[in-house]
Amino acid sequence: MAHSQTDVAVTAAVAVVACGAAASGAPTAVMIVLGIALFAAPGYLLSQLLLSARIAGLERVAVATGLALCVPILGGVLLNAAGVPLHRPAWLGLIAGLTLVGDVAVFVRRRVGRAAPFTWRPRRIRLAPWHAAAFAAAVLVAAGGLGLARVGAAIQPQPGFTQLWLSTRYAKDHIAQLGVTNDQGSATRYRLVLLRNSHVSETWNLTLADGQTWQRTVPFSANDKLAANLYRPPDLTHPYRYVATYSTTAPRS
Amino acid sequence: MSVSVVALIAATGVLVVAAAYTAGRLGHASAPWADRMYWLGQSLILAPVAARLFSRRALTPGETLTLIVILTVAEYLVKVCYSPTSFTYVDELMHWRTTADILQTGKLFTVNNLLPISPYYPGLEEVTSALASITGLSIFPCGLIVAGVAHLMFVCVLYVLFRHVSGSHRIAGIAVLVYASSSLFQSFDSMFVYQTLAVPFLGLTVLAVWRLASPKTVGNRVGWFTVAVLSALATVVTHHVTSYLLVATLEVITLGSLLAGDRASAAWASLLALVSAAAFAAWIVFVAPSTVGYLQPAVQGALDGVRTLLTGGHSSAPPPTSAASGPLGNRVLAGVAVLTMSALLPIGWWQVWRRYRRQSWVVALAIGSVSWYFIVAVRLAVADGSELAGRASTFVFVPAAFIAALAVYRLIGSALRWRFISSALRWRAPAVVAAAVVGALVLVFDGLANGWPPYWERLPGPYQVAGVERSVGPEQLASANWALAALGPGNRIATDIGDMSVLGSYGDQTPILDVSSLYISPTFTTAAAQRVQTESVGFVLVDRRLSEQLPASGQYFSDDPQAGHYTHPLPLAGLTKFDHVPGVARIYDSGNIVIYNLLGSQYYGS
Repeated sequence: MAHSQTDVAVTAAVAVVACGAAASGAPTAVMIVLGIALFAAPGYLLSQLLLSARIAGLERVAVATGLALCVPILGGVLLNAAGVPLHRPAWLGLIAGLTLVGDVAVFVRRRVGRAAPFTWRPRRIRLAPWHAAAFAAAVLVAAGGLGLARVGAAIQPQPGFTQLWLSTRYAKDHIAQLGVTNDQGSATRYRLVLLRNSHVSETWNLTLADGQTWQRTVPFSANDKLAANLYRPPDLTHPYRYVATYSTTAPRS
Repeated sequence: MSVSVVALIAATGVLVVAAAYTAGRLGHASAPWADRMYWLGQSLILAPVAARLFSRRALTPGETLTLIVILTVAEYLVKVCYSPTSFTYVDELMHWRTTADILQTGKLFTVNNLLPISPYYPGLEEVTSALASITGLSIFPCGLIVAGVAHLMFVCVLYVLFRHVSGSHRIAGIAVLVYASSSLFQSFDSMFVYQTLAVPFLGLTVLAVWRLASPKTVGNRVGWFTVAVLSALATVVTHHVTSYLLVATLEVITLGSLLAGDRASAAWASLLALVSAAAFAAWIVFVAPSTVGYLQPAVQGALDGVRTLLTGGHSSAPPPTSAASGPLGNRVLAGVAVLTMSALLPIGWWQVWRRYRRQSWVVALAIGSVSWYFIVAVRLAVADGSELAGRASTFVFVPAAFIAALAVYRLIGSALRWRFISSALRWRAPAVVAAAVVGALVLVFDGLANGWPPYWERLPGPYQVAGVERSVGPEQLASANWALAALGPGNRIATDIGDMSVLGSYGDQTPILDVSSLYISPTFTTAAAQRVQTESVGFVLVDRRLSEQLPASGQYFSDDPQAGHYTHPLPLAGLTKFDHVPGVARIYDSGNIVIYNLLGSQYYGS
């Protein structure tokens, strides 16, 4: 491989390795790195094909980024029109496929002398150590700001609550869904009373961990009127939450 | 001050703003010291960048670029710090829904109950779902990456264009700084919304046209033409208004080029305008015919307002969230900023006439900058003008910022040549730079204070009734997730404005907007029943907190005839009456939020 085709080899390798990693179920951390590299690859190759070597720096990066973003936008529309489901295989096929096609095109153009060979001449940036340290500190401080914001969101006081539901979505099947979710922030004890035509049908004493859900299916007939009262012991007099199907009155205790 | 020090100070500004946000979340959202901390952080971000751009010290192109990248990234991080764990802004939630639908179904053009037009412009969601599919990340981080890259790309393209057109990287840097004073720069333009991704494609198309028209581009026009066409197509697939404005921008460039006698530029700009218009028209005809119906009311409203304005009439008052009725400080800031920009533009035009009148793109920018006065008029005099002007500012500020930058550059240079300053340049020049920095801060602070989030949600904090981001809390999310799981998608649910965005996005329901009468009456009424039947309302979501607080936004409902006129919270009886209406089922209760099923009830005559 000539030195002038190094970028072609690298982008082709990214395409192949990303597809292989996806097929083998590589962990998310690996797919993040490979996925972002794969996203950038067709934009880079298209910029090699479309722009002259004189376009450099920021302008080339901006155009390459734009072209990279064009690929899923326009390619997705074409795939959708062709009836291809836009899931991981389709996206990988589109972007990796275009990358490999771009590799071939760039390779051939360079071989026939219609494109400049790849050169890697990074400008030597004379950055004094204390400048580098200041930039590094800036990155750390900004990351600290993001971290602080996330911590702030995590510790923001939120009032606890409990969800109670009695859903008759499948009423024609004469089945109702009765459920409770504890979002109080800690384990909580409940007493759930199911009323059928104003008479106690069933009672459950529940202890739910924070975030835990309890559910039951409740069969009922066309003439049944269901209601459920949820109590938080020790108060077993006033319902903490209540739900009812086709109720016409206020809660009963 | 070196650029690295500027970066460190700006990063410290991000940290200070994050601390202010954390103070807000911990219960100090209304504390003046927390608010001051926010503005201190913003000053730390903006002032060093402005000072370095205006200073007399030599600035390399690389340093100028670094400064604008620092500004853009720091402001983007401030935006991320506001909602660091999930999307909370209503428009972001709308696009979250479309992205989730693409990931789930593998198809484009799915149904979005909250923003029906969104699936027909799926560019943003395609990129995000592709990234999420390949990397395995969730929609939120992928959305942040896509929006952040798009926003930075747009600013860089803008900088490159300004640098090409002006021939000066310092003018380009100042122009970007002025552009950052657009009221949506730090918020809407970097949010996970379709315009954020479409705007850089607009910029890229214009950049390609500049390259095509440039005499130095001989021999490489096929490549740039391909870039222009691909960018124009990507714009069309991504956002309707940006597509329209792409055509308008290219037409203005054509006009400017014709006036300056630059035939090549006029030819390329008009050709690309034709291509863009054809692509946009084809997209509307074959893919998104609902675009016309979606845009028509907004366009008609703006035209009516302008017509009223031109005929000397009075338009209805702006909504209570606008700057016009905000705190006195905001109004003063808005007035000073409007006057400053309005004064800078004529000076910039004078510079164009003196130095650039043969340069077609500068002439085009001067023509485009006239639109600044148009949005000022709309902002002050048209109903809902603040929102219209704010949305337009993303585009209007491009030419206006450039022309204002010409003026600022000239004013600083002239001031330094004034005799009383030049005689003691070493001592007095810093005062000139300081004045310029203060001017820049006034402009950008106006954009922040009167942009987004509104002043009553400047800091994140506890739940607010009928707010925006602060109306998105765990209980809303839980009820929305339950609605999707238990009821299925697409049910027509009456709801208030605070619960609407979460219910329509995470809940995938169809919120009914014009339902205030359903909540206000303390008893069942036949008028309400007719409304329920007309709107086919299947369910009602009631948030009891509507009876405890006045609406932060001034309105309880999305279409609220009483907006801005509430003096008391809604009566509790109006919210609890559903418990007593025969046939109404109370199917969900989380304490504050209750969902009722109206199907088969007295509302439907059963």
